[in-house]
Amino acid sequence: MASTNAPAAEYAGDEVSAIVLDPGFSTIRAGFAGEDVPKSVCPSFFGYTDAESDSKSQFLFGENAIHTPQANLQIKNYWGSDGIVEDWDAATKVWEYAITSRLTSTKPSNPLQNGLNEGSNGNGDTMDVDIENVEQAEKPLEDSPLLMTEPGWNSSKAREKCIEIAMEEWGAPAFYLQKTGVLAAFASGKASGIIIDIGASHTSVTPVLDGMVLRKGVQKSPLAGNFVSNQIRMLFKQSQPEIPLTPHYTVKSKVQVDAGAPSQATYKTFDLPPTDSFRRLEEERVLTEFKESVVEVWPGPQRFNMGPSEEIAKNQPGRPFEMPDGWNQVFTADRFRVAEGLFDASAALVDSDNPRPKDEHTISRLVQAAVQQVDADHRPMLLGNVVVTGGSSLLYKLNERLTQEINTIYPSTRNKLIAPGSVVERKYAAWIGGSILASLGSFHQLWISKKEYEEHGASIVEKRCR
Amino acid sequence: MPPFKDEQIIIIAPGSETTVAQLGLPESFTPAKTRVRSRMFPAEKEGEWEPYKVRRKQSAEKPTGDQNGAADGEESKNVSSEQEEIIYEEDRISEEGAVWPIREGRIVNWSCFFALITHVYNTMNPPFHTPILLITQPAWTPREHEKLTQFFFEKFKTPAFSLMDSALATSWAFGVHTATVVDVGKDKVDITAISEFVPHVQGRVISLPGCGGEALTQGLLSLLKAKGFNRDMLPNSKKQKATFIYEDHALLDNLKNMNLGEKGLAEAHAALDEGPSKKAQDGTEEEVREGGEGSGAPGAKSGGIRREIEVGVERFQAASNGTLEKIADAVHRCVSSVDEVNKRSELWDSLIVCGNGSRLRGFKDALQATLQAKYVISPSSATIFTSEIPSNISTPAGTGANTPQPQSAPHGGSSQVNPLLLAATTAQNPHLMHPGANPILQGMNSHNQHSSHGQTPTSIKLVKPPEYFPEWKEPGYDEAAFLGAQVAAKVIFVVDQGQNKGYMTRPDYNDQGPTAIHDYSL
Ligand SMILES: Nc1ncnc2c1ncn2[C@@H]1O[C@H](COP(=O)(O)OP(=O)(O)OP(=O)(O)O)[C@@H](O)[C@H]1O
Ligand SMILES: [Mg+2]
Repeated sequence: MASTNAPAAEYAGDEVSAIVLDPGFSTIRAGFAGEDVPKSVCPSFFGYTDAESDSKSQFLFGENAIHTPQANLQIKNYWGSDGIVEDWDAATKVWEYAITSRLTSTKPSNPLQNGLNEGSNGNGDTMDVDIENVEQAEKPLEDSPLLMTEPGWNSSKAREKCIEIAMEEWGAPAFYLQKTGVLAAFASGKASGIIIDIGASHTSVTPVLDGMVLRKGVQKSPLAGNFVSNQIRMLFKQSQPEIPLTPHYTVKSKVQVDAGAPSQATYKTFDLPPTDSFRRLEEERVLTEFKESVVEVWPGPQRFNMGPSEEIAKNQPGRPFEMPDGWNQVFTADRFRVAEGLFDASAALVDSDNPRPKDEHTISRLVQAAVQQVDADHRPMLLGNVVVTGGSSLLYKLNERLTQEINTIYPSTRNKLIAPGSVVERKYAAWIGGSILASLGSFHQLWISKKEYEEHGASIVEKRCR
Repeated sequence: MPPFKDEQIIIIAPGSETTVAQLGLPESFTPAKTRVRSRMFPAEKEGEWEPYKVRRKQSAEKPTGDQNGAADGEESKNVSSEQEEIIYEEDRISEEGAVWPIREGRIVNWSCFFALITHVYNTMNPPFHTPILLITQPAWTPREHEKLTQFFFEKFKTPAFSLMDSALATSWAFGVHTATVVDVGKDKVDITAISEFVPHVQGRVISLPGCGGEALTQGLLSLLKAKGFNRDMLPNSKKQKATFIYEDHALLDNLKNMNLGEKGLAEAHAALDEGPSKKAQDGTEEEVREGGEGSGAPGAKSGGIRREIEVGVERFQAASNGTLEKIADAVHRCVSSVDEVNKRSELWDSLIVCGNGSRLRGFKDALQATLQAKYVISPSSATIFTSEIPSNISTPAGTGANTPQPQSAPHGGSSQVNPLLLAATTAQNPHLMHPGANPILQGMNSHNQHSSHGQTPTSIKLVKPPEYFPEWKEPGYDEAAFLGAQVAAKVIFVVDQGQNKGYMTRPDYNDQGPTAIHDYSL
């Protein structure tokens, strides 16, 4: 926010901190460089209401808008199943919402009436500053450089699209793109390491050497948070009797019932029931709660399906879970089973929609494949810096198991897991790394300025952001 | 710079409906002394604003028809040059044509907003050298904070300025470091989870639309209207009784003329704990309301009188038309989005419901009842069966040699415990807080761990209002943010005097500019 006509004695600088944007499948993290947490965390899911005869179709963004049951509200996500943005239109809008709603301003103010140009009636004197001039008010990023994160497998086309949005639609004065793996390593204070990011749609393993991603080493798989959610769904479906997954909005009031007894809740009635996609989003809230309070990764030393593991698990105290409609049960061995597929494909629950995962997609195999691509000399060093991030890495005991698996594959190196103890640092590692990078004095040497973009076009991103 | 004194401090808290402010901290903190409806009127000159409706008086003509009864509220003043004899009159009652610069907590018209603030400032007639504490709405973004900072320094030449989040201010008023603050405004609700004096910004519910006092009032009124309001509606059981109070600005004058008499007022009073202004018996409600809705009396639309109706909790829930459930669901979302699962229990047990939209008596109980009915995890046979599981004991999650250590942020920022707050709640300043509200030190170690936990909530409790501030008892704590702001202003401007960067000084501003405000505010 440069003050153009400010008197000399007053502040006249134009130091504006960059904005860091870290879009993921489940949430978008956005905030100002130099801060320790992203101030804006918005859902990547957005609402869409179909055009009815009289009204227009409409996009809805943000938590407040997407959780209210409404007959024609559909919930969508702009990501493709390959981990690359599919719906660019929507992505642009959702990202913009994440930035403007909580960081900059909801509506670019109209300079003709933003008040800073005029005196007001009160004591009559006019403001001696002219804070915004007319051109400045229109685009959301007019005065903020932008650092954006991307997955390690992003396509060139997608990368060019990102810089186009930043420059053309948002008017950013400068832009830089960096891979989440590098940034997560950065957040842990490492320039080299193996970064395991267990998110919602994907798990990725990224070898980073001296701040550079070893591209051919990047591995990804769909065995992540959404996979575990589906495992839980199958567990519920395949139980005898079936466990009904009831989201909160379907319940009017619940009644206390015995464990395993059918719910006696009063349910809501809807003239027009909300859409399936809405229901799925709301079910996901229940599943996340289930993950947080019940699911546990079998820590080893043997796999869950081998030896006495399951017996041991059965004899451990179970953990209770109550559905929004009051149905409740204690979960024992099953709470391990739903996460086991992350490490052992043969242990995954399957049905007609969810085939057996591929063996090479388990987290252990991803690590192995990534390390394989690294020069043998560098392997011990990388294995001594295994950084674990992503929301699904918060699964209870996941780190224990991961350590176990890595030590089994590499018994002769000194392997070390680096998992930030704070939930916030774990969930927002890539953003935090971006925040550090974009607040460095040297950031302006990295970024692509508007002028450079205008000169060279979008393809410059391939040359400059490696 | 000479130190600031209590009597110099200005606090301003802008709201969508009412902006409250005060010059000077009284010995015992009081509700805000300056109250201004948050609206201005376009002046003759485009882009300028007047605090009251101003018309050019056509001296020869009679007042326009729709201004009947408003005459005694008008003041005339002569603002034109002598020769022309154009008379402008201020209509201090009419809100026709008013512009409300804050909508659902967001500043939608900056010019008008700045004019409003200037009007509030001038109303207090402050002397030189007044530091200002501005209470911010959750919907205001960091960039908007910077814009506000620039305005206050450059317009008022204030020697020191600070911002305080309204939910945080509320938690200060209640003297608790951890709370879930549900602020029910005019057309929106904000819900904020606060742990150890730090608001969780990520999952914060900001400006949930259509859930404010306005929606609740409309819901109840239409219910009453549909049923034909009468005494039979009142539930028999005393326990079930809840009272619904709303402010009726429209009928102030009518009521005055109705002459309820001593007895009527006394009776109404007996039924009330809250609501300091004039009351009327509910029996008069319908008649009163009818008059107010006609478009014939736009001149009567200010002032405001508190009206009271009693309805049962169930009826309240029905009448809220889904609003209560919507708010309850948002509270659940807010607490569930707190990343540190181990903090949620405490957040559920520290609910603060504030904001004038929550004044409808019975609302707080009805909200708590709704939350409990829908979200409390019952101590079922399953839970009892496994009660040996320590669901609230943290287990360190890290493995191997690098057991995670709680770390402070790598590079500054705002998510650390503010030393000022610590000072305010520890023995250093015992006079600032009511006694017994100092569990802050216990809670602090849990800040950075993650673990496996049982589901929450297992209970939902409202925080007891502070008992330390006699002047706040009678009006209630719905504007507790202002009380918290007074406590905070005392701490940052008078006690601490800037040692902990609790405010930005003018030299700071000149050196670092408005973006630095984030390093200073609370
Ligand atoms: N405490 C927890 N325990 C287990 N899983 C959790 C926990 N908290 C969040 N999750 C899961 O983490 C996932 C979100 O993680 P994250 O925010 O890292 O993903 P993302 O970056 O949005 O997605 P992606 O990396 O796939 O693009 C969700 O599947 C959610 O269910
Ligand atoms: Mg991710």
